[in-house]
Amino acid sequence: MLRKIFVAAVFVIGAAQPLLADNAVDPQADFKAFREYFTKRFPKVQLNDFVNGPYSMDEGLRKQWQQIEEFPPYEFAVEHGKEAFAKPFKNGKTLGDCFPNKGVGIRQNYPYFDTKSGEVITLELALNQCLEANGEKPLSYTSQDMAALTAYMAFTSRGKPFDIKIPNDPRALAAYRSGEEYFYTRRGQLNFSCASCHVQNPGGHIRTEVLAPALGILNAMPIYRSAWENMGTITRRFQTCNSQVRGVPLPGQDVLYRNVEYYLSYMGNGLPISGPGARP
Amino acid sequence: MRTRALIRLAVILSVAGLTTAALAASADDFKAALAKAEAANKQAGALKNQWTTTKDALKAAKKAADGGKFDEAVAHANQAEALAKASIAQAEAEKTAWTAAVVR
Amino acid sequence: MELRQSHLVLAAVASGLIGAAVLGWSAASAAPADGQKLAFDRGKGNCLTCHEIKDGPAPGNLGPALNDMKARFPDRKELIAIISDETKRNALTVMPPFKRNLILNDKEIEEIVDFLYTL
Repeated sequence: MLRKIFVAAVFVIGAAQPLLADNAVDPQADFKAFREYFTKRFPKVQLNDFVNGPYSMDEGLRKQWQQIEEFPPYEFAVEHGKEAFAKPFKNGKTLGDCFPNKGVGIRQNYPYFDTKSGEVITLELALNQCLEANGEKPLSYTSQDMAALTAYMAFTSRGKPFDIKIPNDPRALAAYRSGEEYFYTRRGQLNFSCASCHVQNPGGHIRTEVLAPALGILNAMPIYRSAWENMGTITRRFQTCNSQVRGVPLPGQDVLYRNVEYYLSYMGNGLPISGPGARP
Repeated sequence: MRTRALIRLAVILSVAGLTTAALAASADDFKAALAKAEAANKQAGALKNQWTTTKDALKAAKKAADGGKFDEAVAHANQAEALAKASIAQAEAEKTAWTAAVVR
Repeated sequence: MELRQSHLVLAAVASGLIGAAVLGWSAASAAPADGQKLAFDRGKGNCLTCHEIKDGPAPGNLGPALNDMKARFPDRKELIAIISDETKRNALTVMPPFKRNLILNDKEIEEIVDFLYTL
């Protein structure tokens, strides 16, 4: 019975092809296999070090990074985000009022599956929903202002393990499955999936760039990228990856972006939040 | 003498004109090619798999048409259609192929 | 930025070739494009993103270094097949299917193979 409902839900949401009997969604088994793949492939990398992305793969880069961290380039964003969180809206409320514990130390709980709306709610989406609910203008998902807010929230959550939950709800499992499918689906004229780089080739070089492992890759978000000379949100990271393989990026917080963030964050469960990060 | 030269020039020009007219694409040809390309790209959009190169080719086609260069415009539009169709084929194949890469 | 410009140039070149074909010029009479240029061009072969090649700046390493090509690929057809669509042979390869996805045409692939055989 449950299985019938589940299959129906997948059809309704249109997230995946009809599920075959041997193709049941099992997030816990996926999680175990995913983590094992990386720890076996990189036996010398400490589990909690994967969240440091390319630095966990390359000693030379790590030294440069340690120098960068002496004057963290994301510090300004964290300060800016802290101020924005405290600043009252026109109605007198603040961003902090929308979140548990005023938004401090809770980044590890996002995205979550909202059983009321039946959708994945990411941190970026929750922030804009808060602004709109209070009569304020939403922010661009790729803006420096948005990155500042998530940078502040990540900073106050550093060290806390990702704790993404998949409730026993067929819609949540369908969203997870859709995110998994997005992650492994090749796209763009260059025919790359997220996994082509971040599962099959972590530590490899694309030109001079060192590819980060997918395990823990979102724990470091948002990131200051030296190549951009500013901050990048998760939305910006996804959109850039799309256009780099010559795919037209999806709109910010498209349901597929939210689902893939859900899937990937779940894969990072148990690993500490390290954001905001600094990357070459 | 002068008249004969003018006549000769007129003949040459009209022949050249006819030849060009026979070979050149028209605004209507371009519109037809563009409609096909845009329909294919819309389908790719429904599959959430448009390519940036399709978009670039469509832009180039419209720009060429705006400049009255319809041969070039049709060529770009045809290229855009071919790219859009390749992106559709990719998305269709990936509907089942993606599972092969999953970490197990 | 650089990528964009090369795209525009290539688009212009491509349209020029198509135009030439429309006007009835045979493709063979066009000057042979430089295979190395195609291989290094980010909008075309873009080979350096993943392969080390002699005289190529800042190469990546997802794929094998491209050297001794004649010895390693005595069969020209095999090399053409790899560039055209390596996923046919290896479903998980990250090598883009250059022909299937219309990144390179037959003539351009031939020219790149000519260049690869000089390595």
